[in-house]
Amino acid sequence: MALRSIASRTALWVLVGSMVVLAAIGALLLSLTRAQILQHTHHEAAALAANAGSQIQARIDRVAVSAQMLATIVATRQDDAESLLRDTLSTNLDMDGLAAAFTPSPDTADGSMYSPFVRRLDDGSLASRNLSQDSNPYWNSNWFLGGLGCASGCWQRPFLSLSRHRQVINYSVAIEREGHPIGIINADVTLDWLHQILGSLDKPAGAYAFVLDSDGNYLAHDNPALVGKRGSPALLNALASDQAGAMRLRVAQNPRARGPVWVYSAPIEGTRWRLGLVVPEYQTYASVRHIFMLSLALGLLALLGVSLITLLTIRRTMAPLGVLADRAEHVARGELDFELPPARRPDEVGRLTQSFDHMRRELALHLEDLARVAREKQRLASELEIAHQIQLGLLPNAHYLDAVCAQFELHAALRPARAVGGDLYSYFMLDPQRFFVMVGDVSDKGIPAALFMAQTITLAKALAPRAQTPQNLLQLLNLELCRGNDSCMFVTLLCGLLDTGSGDLVLASAGHEPPILCGRGAPQLLEFPTGAVLGLYEDSTYPEQRLRLRPGETLLMYTDGITEASDHELQMYGIERTVESLAQVPPTADTAAYIERLLGDVDHFVADAAQADDITLLALTWHGAGAPPTGIDIDNRLPDVFVALDRCEQLLQEAKVPASLHGDVRLVLEELMVNTVEYGYPDGRPGRIRVLLQSRPGATTIELIDDGIAFDPLQSTAPTLTGDLADREQIGGLGIHLARTMTDEMRYTRDAQGNHLLLRFTYPTQDGSSP
Amino acid sequence: MTLSLHSEFSAPDRVVVQVGGRLDAMTFGELDEAMLALLPRLADGGTVVIDLAHLEYVSSAGLRSFAKIRKNMRTRGGHTLLLNPQPQVRKVFDIVKAVPVNEVFASTQELDAYLDRMQRQITEGDDSDI
Repeated sequence: MALRSIASRTALWVLVGSMVVLAAIGALLLSLTRAQILQHTHHEAAALAANAGSQIQARIDRVAVSAQMLATIVATRQDDAESLLRDTLSTNLDMDGLAAAFTPSPDTADGSMYSPFVRRLDDGSLASRNLSQDSNPYWNSNWFLGGLGCASGCWQRPFLSLSRHRQVINYSVAIEREGHPIGIINADVTLDWLHQILGSLDKPAGAYAFVLDSDGNYLAHDNPALVGKRGSPALLNALASDQAGAMRLRVAQNPRARGPVWVYSAPIEGTRWRLGLVVPEYQTYASVRHIFMLSLALGLLALLGVSLITLLTIRRTMAPLGVLADRAEHVARGELDFELPPARRPDEVGRLTQSFDHMRRELALHLEDLARVAREKQRLASELEIAHQIQLGLLPNAHYLDAVCAQFELHAALRPARAVGGDLYSYFMLDPQRFFVMVGDVSDKGIPAALFMAQTITLAKALAPRAQTPQNLLQLLNLELCRGNDSCMFVTLLCGLLDTGSGDLVLASAGHEPPILCGRGAPQLLEFPTGAVLGLYEDSTYPEQRLRLRPGETLLMYTDGITEASDHELQMYGIERTVESLAQVPPTADTAAYIERLLGDVDHFVADAAQADDITLLALTWHGAGAPPTGIDIDNRLPDVFVALDRCEQLLQEAKVPASLHGDVRLVLEELMVNTVEYGYPDGRPGRIRVLLQSRPGATTIELIDDGIAFDPLQSTAPTLTGDLADREQIGGLGIHLARTMTDEMRYTRDAQGNHLLLRFTYPTQDGSSP
Repeated sequence: MTLSLHSEFSAPDRVVVQVGGRLDAMTFGELDEAMLALLPRLADGGTVVIDLAHLEYVSSAGLRSFAKIRKNMRTRGGHTLLLNPQPQVRKVFDIVKAVPVNEVFASTQELDAYLDRMQRQITEGDDSDI
């Protein structure tokens, strides 16, 4: 988690990368330095060895020179030998003892010969004795016999002097007289000084020195344990190979030295000894290693510092980025009012900050723009919704039932493809006998079509009383619509005028789809000559078509929204399917069934494809002339009401209205009439109530007419029903509520005669439910 | 057909009123009058059972009469139960939600079971809420 920030990652990588580079350079440097250091060490060590060799040589030379001088002197002054020896010994501390041993001559074989041996005691005083009186005659011993051959002096093998507890080596020089050796001067040289010399050498730390004699034994060694032992074969071989100078041995003989060692040797002149200086390899490199380690530590420290600085710098540089990331989340939430870090430098971060600020401001503007557009859109939508409501208001009810005599019935449906559309239908009673109906379709869609539709429907209604016939109406309408129609909109219109008494129907069409006649046998397409569409040609005329509807027949009028309804394959529904669909409707079905069936089939055909055009359907059924309604007239008195109720019940029985309806009809009439008697005449004046009752197959319609004060039961508010009438303070409004609930349809109008209330009771169907 | 009324005290605190025929704006006065005479004779906390088996028709005026009886009984700590309404009457009751459904009984058995239950509660000294 700590490496989540770029700063810490970069710092880490800088650290790692620099360490790799440092290590590589260090290794290269080390290897170069090593070679140099080695060379240097070689020089130094060789010089040291040579120097030590010459020091030893100088000491030895003194012994040798002293001994040789003694030999020369003693050759002539044999009797002074002891004093000479004493003098020499006292001046030369390297010598531990001096002996002048003479070869016994025949005349002195009895031991009278004096062979003095002077030696230094531990307290520094000198003691002497006569060697020839030793129990073992020296003239037979090896050292004496060997010494006789050394005219110019030679070093003997070292040996451990038992009497003096120290390593001692002899130097023997023959005493010659007249070319013949007459004895030897034998100097005992202790090797302590050799040790001292080796010890006093300015050796590098860890190095040690040794002196090998001619046989390869250690004469002296910094490690006293090795003195007197034989040098290792590897060492001897190396020395024998005469690579004087530097030799590398894998393993040193001295257990104190670890690892490989370098051996530097120098011969000691005058002897066959060799001085060796051993420097362990690790010691050679110790200094460079030390420096390397120090540099490494320093370098690491420096790198840590660099990393730290990198971390801080990057963190400081990147800090605005973190703030920007936070701010971006604000932007995502739509909050655009926030502080931005100051753009300190015109670098990437600074530019990003500036762009961010710019983006924020642009975004705010854009959002504001968007909100404005959305408001505008909402306003338009609400305007369209209002327009939609207004347009619906222009259309009459979708259901019209002839109130007075139930001789015809009309159902209509209009479905705009958009909020507003160009389809229209309208109907109205031209006079008490004739019913005017029309269906139209304005070219184009949307708002222009809706305006043109409004104009058409309004004009039609206004012109109808003057026109009196469909063909006249179309002609008048055409003239009006042509006027000022620069946009060349037009409307197709189908008009019909029904004589409600006879079923006579006059049709005229202005380029509209032909109507379909249903009800008896197969549906029949009524194709007849039509005039031009309305709004384009002022001189158009419209031929009329007359036919007579038989009772129960239905005329179906529609717009091309039906026939041109398309499914996903753009296949159109067409007139054949329309006719087929209508043929499925049973002849006894009511008017609404045609609309429901056809709309249902079209919907099924179209499935979920979008509706392209407005759809309008209108079905007009003529029920036949029928018997005139029976009227009952009563005064506005309660007993008369019950007389009328009994009479009504009698009429219902005669008309074979289903018995289950009798109670309902009676109840509704009682409630309404009692209400009228009790509240309709507050001034107490006498009044008249008229009941018009007409029963026909399927339904009974009753019209209640009274001359009381205006009262529309449909406008009374429904009572609050608590579930217990005894809870109610004022028991009123129940009767009207009952009447409204039990009537299938109730319509109220008021005219000069007074209140007209049309009631309709539909007969229960076979399965007992109301249609 | 007009209204027919018949009442019978099955106990001092219980009266059964059989209402038959039509109860409408014309006849509701008869019921009101009969009850006016009948109810004071009933002990406080008693029960009026209105048998509707023979009532063919009721209008809002009749509903008002029933409501008056129920109000009257309620103020005296009594109960009004309706028995056996016919479909036409039942329909009217349902439309205006005239009485609580648990006070309408489809048969004498149902009513008796209810009255027994009530009796037990009274003897147990808890007649305050049914």
